[in-house]
Amino acid sequence: MPDDKDKENYILFKLVGTTYGIKSDDVSQMEMVEHITPVPNAPDFVEGLVFLRGEVIPAINLRARFGFEKIEYDIKTRIIIVQKGERKVGLIVDNAREFVAIPGEVIKPPPETISGLSGQYLQGVATMGDRLILILNIEKVLNFTNIKTSV
Amino acid sequence: MAASIEQITANMVSLTSSINETSSSITETSSSIKNVADVTQEMVTSATQVTTSINEIANSIRHVSTETDSLVTSINDTASTIDEMAQSIKSVAENAENLASAAEETSSSINEMAASIEEVSATSENLAALVEQISATIEQTVHSVQGVSTSAEKISESASSSASASMQLDRSIRSIANLAKTADEITNRATKDAQEGASTIEKSIKALLKIKETMKQSSTVIRDMGKRSSEIGSIVNTINLIAERTNLLSLNASIEAARAGEAGRGFAVVAEEIRNLAERAAKATSDIASIIKTFQEVTQEAVTTTNEGLKIAEEGSTLAEDAGKSLKKILLGIEDVAQLVNQISTATNEQLTAGQNLVNEASITATQAKQIANATSEQSKAVYGMVQISGQMRKIAQQVSQAMAEQAKASRNIIKAAQNTNNYAASVSRATKEQADGANQIARVMESMKKSTTIISKAISEQATAGEQVSREALRLARLIENINRAMSEQANAANQIDKAAENMKRQADQITKAMSEQSRAMKDTSFAIDNIIKQIKLITGGNIKQSELTTKISELILDIRRFFEKDVEIVHDSEKIISNLIEKVKSLDILWKKGQSKLG
Repeated sequence: MPDDKDKENYILFKLVGTTYGIKSDDVSQMEMVEHITPVPNAPDFVEGLVFLRGEVIPAINLRARFGFEKIEYDIKTRIIIVQKGERKVGLIVDNAREFVAIPGEVIKPPPETISGLSGQYLQGVATMGDRLILILNIEKVLNFTNIKTSV
Repeated sequence: MAASIEQITANMVSLTSSINETSSSITETSSSIKNVADVTQEMVTSATQVTTSINEIANSIRHVSTETDSLVTSINDTASTIDEMAQSIKSVAENAENLASAAEETSSSINEMAASIEEVSATSENLAALVEQISATIEQTVHSVQGVSTSAEKISESASSSASASMQLDRSIRSIANLAKTADEITNRATKDAQEGASTIEKSIKALLKIKETMKQSSTVIRDMGKRSSEIGSIVNTINLIAERTNLLSLNASIEAARAGEAGRGFAVVAEEIRNLAERAAKATSDIASIIKTFQEVTQEAVTTTNEGLKIAEEGSTLAEDAGKSLKKILLGIEDVAQLVNQISTATNEQLTAGQNLVNEASITATQAKQIANATSEQSKAVYGMVQISGQMRKIAQQVSQAMAEQAKASRNIIKAAQNTNNYAASVSRATKEQADGANQIARVMESMKKSTTIISKAISEQATAGEQVSREALRLARLIENINRAMSEQANAANQIDKAAENMKRQADQITKAMSEQSRAMKDTSFAIDNIIKQIKLITGGNIKQSELTTKISELILDIRRFFEKDVEIVHDSEKIISNLIEKVKSLDILWKKGQSKLG
């Protein structure tokens, strides 16, 4: 099915009322926030470390990473474990409960006006009916070197 | 008058003295006649003198004869005059006695009058004092009547005001009676209403107690419901957690299925269906959670509301109990009020009758007070009239007392004058008595004189005839006396011889005397009588002149006396008039006094 080949599966999550999309292939697993071990001298957006399936994974508060205010964790809070190459990072988001297939023609590059500082984290913007989904550029999100140097 | 009476008495005294003088003159006459006889004897002794004297005697006898005739007539006239005088003196004496008695009576009556005037004066003074007292009393009465008048007017005003006030009182009592009736009805209604209210309150208290119990029950039920709903909430949370976990699991399954590719396709569908179920379960649980939340809110509200309702019910029951208690008190109060209203209505009924009586009495009092005010105003008028009358009375009494004082003075003067008159009359009567006695004596003397004069006249007529002889003899005697004279003149030459001759003559004269005594036995008598007569006549004529003067004086005095008596009479008439006026004034005073007393009474 050619239709199926054009489509890609995305995990949709919500952050500060906005729906973001992340490729299902980049996501290894999802968990509820149960226990995070804080890391000393870590940057503000790094919540600490989580222990999952025998692995120690750093957990990043995506709100803090995107410059938003932090909120308390609740039953809907999720950690999305993202894998790019050897690197595994946990992204703490407000909510994540959808698994959708988005056709490639729907995804469009982000507008020039927001392509500045925030635009570097976005791969594109997908529209599905009324819904507007921001597709994350995971590599940029997981690029810590800039962040580390900045820290 | 006294002076005139004094004059009269003096005149009478002079009259009596003159009469005495007359009698003494008569006695003197007799003595002088004796002296004449002596002289004649002496004359006889002197022969010459005797002859001449005999001639003279003869002449004188003639003369005397004629004179004696005229004397007789004059004596007769005198006698008759003296008789008349005596009669008049008698009448004067009688009149004097009458006068004296009249004067005494007058003086006694004047005394009585004076006494009565004094009494009247004293009485009028007392009357004046009484009038003063009466006028003072009347002035006091005026004051008191004025006070009574003003107080009567005030009483009248207050009586009329009290009458109007009692009318108002009557009206207000009537309105109070009506009000008491309406109050009675209202209290009866209020009693009924309060009783009904009390029963209603008791019912509502019971109902409130029931409500309280029900509220308690419902509140416990609602609390149970709240508990249950929270249990449901925890269950829902669990379901929600399960749903979340199911969703997470389905997502992980989907990720794994996608990784598996073509092999994991069916698994992906299952995972999606599981995710949908989980999604539905989550939605249902969220609905349930919201419903339970609202239910919990409602139950909470119900709990608070029931609690409030419980409180309100408790408060309402306590309030209802209080209301019941106060209603019971109100009932008791209303019963008291009803009793009081009953008492008030009975009292107002009594007051109504009493007020009606009061109104009647007040109207009667007002009319009486008006009558009293009118009567007092009339009384004050009458009293003013009395005051004026008492002033007039006072003036009259003062005038009367003044007049009485003047009368008393005049009566005292009259008494004095009457006493004087009395004295004078007594002296006059005495004098007239003496005069009468003297006149009687004179009359007797005159009678005897008359007899003697008739005798004398007879003797004188005899003497006249004898006197003719005597005169002839006297002529001869005269011649003889001439001779004697001649002899005497011859004898005068030789006084001693004369003396001797005189002695002889004495003897001769003695003889002559004897002869003469023989001769003129009648002569003696005659000459004696004549001399006497002459002297007496002289004296009588003098006395008569004096008497006539005196009688004229007496008559004048008597006229004076009569005038004085007429004046007395006039005075007495005046005093009578005054007394009658006094009596009239006293009568009018008495009438006024009686009027005053009757008005005062």
